[in-house]
Amino acid sequence: MSTNGVPVPPPQPSLLKTTASSNGTVPPSVFTLPQTAQLEALYTIIRDKDTSRGDFLFYSDRIIRLLVEEGLNHLPVVKKTVTTPTGSTYVGVGFEGKICGVSILRAGEAMEAGLREVCRSVRIGKILIQRDEETMQPKLFYSKFPQDIAKRYVLLLDPMLATGGSAIKAVDVLMENGVPEDRIIFINLISSPEGLRTFSEKFPRLKVITGWIDQGLNEKAYIIPGLGDFGERRYCE
Amino acid sequence: MSQLLLREELDESQRASVPLKAQKNTLLISHGRPPWYGPDGKCISDAFVIGVGGGSASGKTHVARQIVKALGSIPTVLILSQDSFYKYHSPEEIELAFESKFDFDHPDAIDMPMFASCLADLKACRQTNIPVYSFAEHQRLQETKYAYGATVIIAEGIMALHDPALRSLYDLKVFVQCDSDLMLARRITRDVKERGRSLEGILEQYLRYVKPSYDNFVRPTAAFADIIVPGQNNSVAIELISTHTRRQLQERSNSFRPKMVTSSLHAPSLVNEPLENDPNLMILPSTPQLEGIFTILRSKDTNNQDFIFFTDRLSTLLVEHALQFLPYAPLTVTTPLGVKSHGKKLISKYLCGVSILRSGSALERGFRRVINDVPVGTLLIQSNSMDGEPLLLHLKLPVSVRHRSSAEETWVILLDAQIGTGAAAFMSIRILLEHGVKQDHIIFVTFLVARTGGITTLRRAFPHVRVVCGTVDNEMREGWLEGDRGEGNEDGVGRKIWVMNPGMGQIGDRYYL
Repeated sequence: MSTNGVPVPPPQPSLLKTTASSNGTVPPSVFTLPQTAQLEALYTIIRDKDTSRGDFLFYSDRIIRLLVEEGLNHLPVVKKTVTTPTGSTYVGVGFEGKICGVSILRAGEAMEAGLREVCRSVRIGKILIQRDEETMQPKLFYSKFPQDIAKRYVLLLDPMLATGGSAIKAVDVLMENGVPEDRIIFINLISSPEGLRTFSEKFPRLKVITGWIDQGLNEKAYIIPGLGDFGERRYCE
Repeated sequence: MSQLLLREELDESQRASVPLKAQKNTLLISHGRPPWYGPDGKCISDAFVIGVGGGSASGKTHVARQIVKALGSIPTVLILSQDSFYKYHSPEEIELAFESKFDFDHPDAIDMPMFASCLADLKACRQTNIPVYSFAEHQRLQETKYAYGATVIIAEGIMALHDPALRSLYDLKVFVQCDSDLMLARRITRDVKERGRSLEGILEQYLRYVKPSYDNFVRPTAAFADIIVPGQNNSVAIELISTHTRRQLQERSNSFRPKMVTSSLHAPSLVNEPLENDPNLMILPSTPQLEGIFTILRSKDTNNQDFIFFTDRLSTLLVEHALQFLPYAPLTVTTPLGVKSHGKKLISKYLCGVSILRSGSALERGFRRVINDVPVGTLLIQSNSMDGEPLLLHLKLPVSVRHRSSAEETWVILLDAQIGTGAAAFMSIRILLEHGVKQDHIIFVTFLVARTGGITTLRRAFPHVRVVCGTVDNEMREGWLEGDRGEGNEDGVGRKIWVMNPGMGQIGDRYYL
């Protein structure tokens, strides 16, 4: 901790042990949470098919909060001097720049509560992307953003990064709305190595915060071992 | 008619004194309990134990009460009654008891090993759970009564001086001497009124059991007594006992005055190892967000709403960080896709939080966001405005800590806003250890630690306790806290305190007021 008040540099790309990802290397724009036994225990609970909905909600919220906290660390801060109640001067930092959240419907909405616990009354845009039955490509069905989104840092929320199709489409939409690539931070709970690679090759300057990198995808493009359908477990089961 | 008369007489006598039952197994607390340990974290001395024996209805409880009254300002006195330790009875024994054919006055009726072990625990400043015996049901009940933290313990009962194991625990042995006819008269009034017995039954029991027991087992134990007290008009004897007890306590505390608050502050040369090198002191890794949160919390211009919001955010991060020090074991689960996933599982048998009031509860919201299904106990520790020493005013600990066997397997997350002088931290850790919680099962979670404060003494005394903090402040100086004008403080008298610099101000006040 820099007690002398000098702003600390943003976190460095995580030195991830390659056991979690099948092909070893993690793109430099990807950051993970510290892979502690405690975090592993949280994931074990939400992966277990026998976990109750109450526990699924509680423990996924805990991970989401940690992910949002980590994501916020990539936002800029400026030097700020304050006076303490004891009358002395403290040189710290102040938060800089406006932010907003954008959740990819419907699973992304599950991350909103966690976001608002960390960023009080933050504005949240929504985006609905589904697969086009004819072209089999992800297609934008609906979007609603704050008017000044182009001036804000955007925390893009989607719990699972599988093939990366809808996330890429969502970023395309955001950039069409004037948000620069390097002002978007994509936050997810679990990602596949394939999806991460595709995504960060397309957007190398966009930071990805992921809680855990799994083994890979199965033939139906589900993440293995994953945790099933996040939105389904959170809302419907 | 005769029964009615008896009842009226008893009402009369009861008006004059506090009901007898309330006088047994009572813990009396006044003014809080000052430190009973030295800067090395060890107990200064055992509790002072007085054994009071004598015949049934000879006035033992009365003598015990009078001693308590005469001791006056002694912080905590516990009266432990032999009646609680009647053995667990079989159905046949209960049947005999209801027919008044069971010998309750034989030493064998009492669970002496349990009596001795409860007393030994209390003498060694540990908690104990006293059995509860019902005279109406003639049976030991399932429940127990938790007791902890007495400076003086008075063990009373007809056989209190009978068992050698018990006798070895007493610092002072008292025998209450009373004439048999007076004891019988008192016994009749008591048993009719309080235990719902008939006169015939009482007399039969007296002749069959009580009298022989007194002659064979009780009266001979007078030989072990240090002092023999008459069963009535005994104020001089009481005065002698309480004076002796007070002097004994005085000698013990004089031999080792605890002065930990000031000792470490005035001896900065003792700080030879930087806190950052202590493997059991974990400082939250610094990030831009953490720096920003601390900047907001340290600013005097931050409003209430923001202070609460960012305090909650910080405490959530701290508790999340602390949880990695709990024990985990491998676990394989099946995901909804039918795939096996190898992960981990928390394996602490018992987990609880304990917050040090008032400012420790500022961390409770964060604690609850992370752990929603464990008990949270409280310790109310205030510093004495005269000398800054901590006083334990109240404790309410989770059930798993109250029982020694489970306390040994309990992980405790202790919550307090900061470690300045370390006095409250020191006392609360000491309390947990006395309950049987292991040092390395305690994780102390706090926002701020003062580098030059009591943390050094704390680390030396309890090196295996883990401390998780947000940051370390370098300075600690004497300050003045303005008193609030109001009840008990008409002139708004302030008090001297140690404040941390830059600090976060009075965290409890800023969070709650």
